[in-house]
Amino acid sequence: MSPGLLETASAPAKATANWVEGLSETAFAYLLLAPMLLLFGVIAFWPLASTFEMSLRADSLAGAENIGPFVGLENYVDLATGQRDAVMPRPFLDLDQPFRSALTVTIIFAVVSVAIETIIGFGQALVLDQEFKGRRWLRVAIILPWAIPIVIQGMIFYLLFVPGIGIATEPLQQLGIFGSTPLSNPVDSLIIIVIADVWKTAAFMALIILAGLQSIDRSLYNVGRVAGATALQRFRYITLPLVMPAVLIAMLFRTIDAMRVFGLIETVSDCTVVPSLSCMVVQTFGARRYGTSAAIAFITAAIIAVFVMVYIVQFARSEEGLL
Amino acid sequence: MATDTEDLAPYERWTRGAIQNPRRVYTGLFYVATIFFLITTLFPFYWLLVIALTPTGMLGQIGITPPAIDPGSFVEIFERLPFHVYMFNSFVLALLTTAIVLLLGSLAGYVFGRLTFPGRTPLMLIVLAISYFPPAAFLLPLFELFTGNVEVLGVQSPVLFNTPGAMVMPFSALFMPLAIFILATFYSQIPDGLEDAARVEGTTRLGALFRVIIPLSAPGVATAGVLTFIVVYNEFFFSFLMNDGQAENWAPLVWGILNYQGQYSQFYNLMAAASIVGVLPIAILVVVAQEKIVSGLTAGALKE
Repeated sequence: MSPGLLETASAPAKATANWVEGLSETAFAYLLLAPMLLLFGVIAFWPLASTFEMSLRADSLAGAENIGPFVGLENYVDLATGQRDAVMPRPFLDLDQPFRSALTVTIIFAVVSVAIETIIGFGQALVLDQEFKGRRWLRVAIILPWAIPIVIQGMIFYLLFVPGIGIATEPLQQLGIFGSTPLSNPVDSLIIIVIADVWKTAAFMALIILAGLQSIDRSLYNVGRVAGATALQRFRYITLPLVMPAVLIAMLFRTIDAMRVFGLIETVSDCTVVPSLSCMVVQTFGARRYGTSAAIAFITAAIIAVFVMVYIVQFARSEEGLL
Repeated sequence: MATDTEDLAPYERWTRGAIQNPRRVYTGLFYVATIFFLITTLFPFYWLLVIALTPTGMLGQIGITPPAIDPGSFVEIFERLPFHVYMFNSFVLALLTTAIVLLLGSLAGYVFGRLTFPGRTPLMLIVLAISYFPPAAFLLPLFELFTGNVEVLGVQSPVLFNTPGAMVMPFSALFMPLAIFILATFYSQIPDGLEDAARVEGTTRLGALFRVIIPLSAPGVATAGVLTFIVVYNEFFFSFLMNDGQAENWAPLVWGILNYQGQYSQFYNLMAAASIVGVLPIAILVVVAQEKIVSGLTAGALKE
């Protein structure tokens, strides 16, 4: 769609160009948004609605049809009460074995890894905030893990922890933290996956927090120094409160992302060992239990939607502030 | 010339110095932290290299350095599986997606960055929400759609499974919001006067976008392009599920690596070598374009 094409084109094209010129600003805006909205319609809105519709139908294991008859909320009720657990690789929600049921393991993963990432990311941001020689290269080193493919991230930690080769397994076994086969033990595998996630995504936290740090007015520190505040006090009363909004936004983003963990588990360990919500969706889908799968997928989306809403309310407020 | 300090043990001397001069402690802490972060981020890459360089027969004797050095794995990964085809597929998918995202994202970024119209804020919120939905919520319908099991007005959907379309379309939708927000930020910073001047000279609205606004926002377009390329190259979910894992069926890097894990489960050196080759393009991109990556990520997240 080069501009030259529009201007040297034939009569119908010229007529179209004139028609576009005559549109009101609103009509022109929606015309330009049309391709994007079409793509979102086919790839996001329709699938979401369709997933919800499928989640109200029974599994259909035999016969040509993938989807059974309408059963209302039965899939959701069965998942919540544990009646569906028998036909799934792992239970959906079982508080007696939190490391083996999908909902609890996903929440544990998200909370633990985001908490550690925040602390490490904050540390990295404080270091990157200093002026020193080689800062650029330290920043490259810190960003690099963030930029690598999930499958390679998974492969690295697989090779670090696979028994016989992995350099990290034996010391942890001697300390009594890991069992003999960490990659098929739910707790050991979860620990490895948390470490892998922290390694890759602390950099994202660091960059957002760094941006927050650098937006702090430096003269505040001079005021603090004149008032006799120690470095720790300056950090506690100036840096921390001012950087908090950036930290919270970064935490929200990471939580949303952590709730959909899948590829890392599939590469390092196995979806039956660490059954995250996305893992369960894929596994029940693979077993042709479309109704069950759709219900888990929709629950996952709904949980994430709660976090997204928090962010969106925040975002809408700042947008209004601009207008 | 014996002074107090020289009589003291090194530890006590250090403590005393620290109390007298806290600045030194902070400098020391800074170096400790820097070295800690360097080791923790880079050691896993070093470990990949150690395993990749170890000959197959000696994998049991691996230590902190390779027992013997044999770069043969880097050749072998292209012979046992067509690893170059997987890499090529990943490149094609990432470039196609980047092109679509930049084109559609430019139109949307122009609208959100420069136009005021009813429905603007709700639409932006919808775009924002889409990028955070779990891909698992889209999987079943999209799988049915791309395997030809969806009928619209009596027309079967085309079978896109095992073709680039089944991956490029979900990638484009999922990663476009990030690009839209980056582009909208850049486009909104072009002064109105420049656009008006072009319009007075008879350029059409679209002409002004493509001839004035986009060229003047070249750094922003590059930022959005680099980030889109990286996130698509790194994607797992649809890359894994929308093809059967065969190189000739457009399976990307994800499968090139997983197939080594699955089919050559004792050849850890091949898995490591494949991972190193797979990460090289991204590592180069990060070194070359780190400013763009940093500004794009923070602009996308901290948009105020």
